[in-house]
Amino acid sequence: MIGAGTGELPASFLQHDPRPQAGIAEPPFQIWTTPTGAVWTLFYRQASGYLVRFPALADFGISVDGIQIHGWAAPGISSATLQHLYLNQVLPLALSRQGKLVVHGSAVAVSANALAFIGASGKGKSTLAASFAISGTRFLSDDGLQLEWVNGELTAIPSHPSIRLWEDSREALVNDSNDVAPALEFTSKARLLAGTGLAYCRDARPLGRIYILGPGAAARPVIALAKPSTALTELLRNSFLLDIDVQDMLAQHFDTLSRIASLPIHYHLDFPRRYDVLAQVRTAIIHHSREPAA
Amino acid sequence: MNMSRTPRVPPEVMARKVGDEIVILDLSSGNYFGLNPVGARIWELINEGHSLEHVCEALLAEYDVSREVMESDLARLMEELMDRGLLAEG
Repeated sequence: MIGAGTGELPASFLQHDPRPQAGIAEPPFQIWTTPTGAVWTLFYRQASGYLVRFPALADFGISVDGIQIHGWAAPGISSATLQHLYLNQVLPLALSRQGKLVVHGSAVAVSANALAFIGASGKGKSTLAASFAISGTRFLSDDGLQLEWVNGELTAIPSHPSIRLWEDSREALVNDSNDVAPALEFTSKARLLAGTGLAYCRDARPLGRIYILGPGAAARPVIALAKPSTALTELLRNSFLLDIDVQDMLAQHFDTLSRIASLPIHYHLDFPRRYDVLAQVRTAIIHHSREPAA
Repeated sequence: MNMSRTPRVPPEVMARKVGDEIVILDLSSGNYFGLNPVGARIWELINEGHSLEHVCEALLAEYDVSREVMESDLARLMEELMDRGLLAEG
């Protein structure tokens, strides 16, 4: 078994020998597709819980309570790909089944707090986190950010100590001192491992700000207060949820997000997606995070 | 629009007020919908079980707007919420 967290194991993962992906009679209850329309993930309900299938890559079984996870790579698919899919896709879904809150967000530690950046894939979450980490500001997560209430305080929990970057971001940000994990079959993204060149924070931190990443239309870094209703819809849009048909869990999830959305910590952040302005963006964020909350 | 109607909130629909706005979630589909402050006030009045006639009168007392505009806006919002399954006929 391997664990994904740095503290107590949030779930157990048992990696099995590769096996072919057998046909499943029942139709999936949910299908995720890529921006190009290709099927990326199929979700099935089974007697023992859920089967999550990445076609031609891997199958994962998740227990009803989200605690036990089994993984089978498809023949010819590497163990690294299986573990990558587990950490980045399956574990956040399993945690959501445990009633935990996981959002599509990266996070970095500034002073005593964590700052989170949320947004859909391609909005620059990982690039921003890597930019901070390479410049010495430690990161807690590059995606799949877990949030918990700890002693009445909203807290960001560190996830696995690596950051995934597209090739252009890697070339612009990374030097030879960064450790890079083996290449994966399904993506040209490189996975950078925390180390001397990539500062990682393994301690949970109170969440000081949530920045909602904009489309990159701004000519310079712009930070503006987000309305609570906007924060709530963005949190809904960017949450990991394994099964939205379990209505009591969805209702609990909505309540949790509503409570978070009511905190005065939500801001829109937009900036030109150019590597040469990242230092300016980091400075603007750090300066902003030290101002009193709205 | 029949102003004597009293729409109701279906049991699978929940709403939360955040700030002065409301976000509605349909638990059966996972779809969500936001209401601005005026829409939020309308939702609150409907959720309290009032007829559209009562809702309209209450809003006319609270906002500086003509009856014609208010009834038109109310009808449009009712149609949208009904179409989305977020309100049902009483």
